[in-house]
Amino acid sequence: MSPMDSRPALAPGVRLQIDKITGEPVLLYPEGIMALNSTAHEIVARCDGAATVEAIATALAAEYEISRDALDGDILECLEDLRNRRLIVFAT
Amino acid sequence: MNHRPYALLAELTYRCPLHCPYCSNPTRHPAGAELTTEEWQRAIREASALGVLQAGFSGGEPLLRADLASLVSEARESGMYTNLITSGIGLDKRRAAELRDAGLDSAQISFQADEPTLADNIAGARTHQRKLEAARIVREQGIALSVNVVLHRANLSRLREIIAFAAALGTKHLELANTQYYGWGFLNRAHLTPTRAQVEDARQIASEEKQRHAGRMDIFYVLPDYYEQRPKPCMQGWGRRYLTVNPTGEVLPCPTASSISGMRFDSVREKSLAWIWHESESFNRFRGTAWMPEPCRTCPQHEIDFGGCRCQAALLTGNPAATDPVCALSPDRKSIDAFLASIPGNDSDLPPWQPRENPTAK
Repeated sequence: MSPMDSRPALAPGVRLQIDKITGEPVLLYPEGIMALNSTAHEIVARCDGAATVEAIATALAAEYEISRDALDGDILECLEDLRNRRLIVFAT
Repeated sequence: MNHRPYALLAELTYRCPLHCPYCSNPTRHPAGAELTTEEWQRAIREASALGVLQAGFSGGEPLLRADLASLVSEARESGMYTNLITSGIGLDKRRAAELRDAGLDSAQISFQADEPTLADNIAGARTHQRKLEAARIVREQGIALSVNVVLHRANLSRLREIIAFAAALGTKHLELANTQYYGWGFLNRAHLTPTRAQVEDARQIASEEKQRHAGRMDIFYVLPDYYEQRPKPCMQGWGRRYLTVNPTGEVLPCPTASSISGMRFDSVREKSLAWIWHESESFNRFRGTAWMPEPCRTCPQHEIDFGGCRCQAALLTGNPAATDPVCALSPDRKSIDAFLASIPGNDSDLPPWQPRENPTAK
């Protein structure tokens, strides 16, 4: 299966929240807090376990009028990083 | 620099059904009644307004508070991440469902060992079997489960078995915390401190097992700091990221700070959390680096370890402003070396430990 067909979701016990002091998005989990940049936020907000990476990329490309060439790589890299930190899981 | 707190540890009660000799709760309990539900709810709202993003509910055993779910719900409604730090005793299906419905994000259950006889012996109560049941219920209710095991001389040699046990519980996160010597743990340190050989074996095992479980279970290994050469970066610095509210409402820069004799801590009963965080003498006392003596003052490490732990300095030298004696550069390091040298080689020569006692009813 292509990684573009996988369906990312926040790992159990992980929550996306806006830090009300800074207005910035953060991921909260039992052992800590991770600040997200705006790109990561756009991606993570769409990780609902239903949308495929392909669908997330299509939505972001349309919303921000950017080419898929660079975008796909950025999304996969971001998700891989979050998966390594156990903040994202992939449903198939 | 203007600091803000990120995490609140709400120590709801010092009562606990377990009697673990390593407990870091104070051996002398503060006078006064436990905070009421309304007082806790106000403290939680004030913490959120200060920027706190995570609330840990701990104790003692927080499940002994019948109002726990309403406090979790208050934290959750303020947008905080909520974590229950529990022995698991009292966490039946009804209670777990109530907490899940209140918005509890995760639960950390402590175990004393992998095998029931040893575990119950350490806990001073027959609790191991009930903890297994609690862990199963937490998973069944869809609450993220993490497992904590405090390590010491009586269980460190079973580290590999303990890790296999945690993996079988289905947790994704295992915290293996070598005992830190505060409260009852400090009182019992001669009994709890592992031998150097045990520590070296354990270090090797922890590193191998981390690799082996990578991708399935994160293993977080808290080092036995008496055997280290540099102090731990305690609380990431005094009054920098964390605050603790104890059962009677005192606000502490770290959970064990009330052990520092001569220091006075303000209470949420009398002052706002914002005032205590920003203005109080206790929170400003060891903030930053200006308070540091030599060798910390000119040490390039001082922004990394913050001079170590103030409670440990106070316990071991009588002076909370001293360099943490764990540091090899501390003039007091010899007291730790002398203590380590005094540990008996044979278990049969160990003194009996003093089980943790509950606060007396007031």
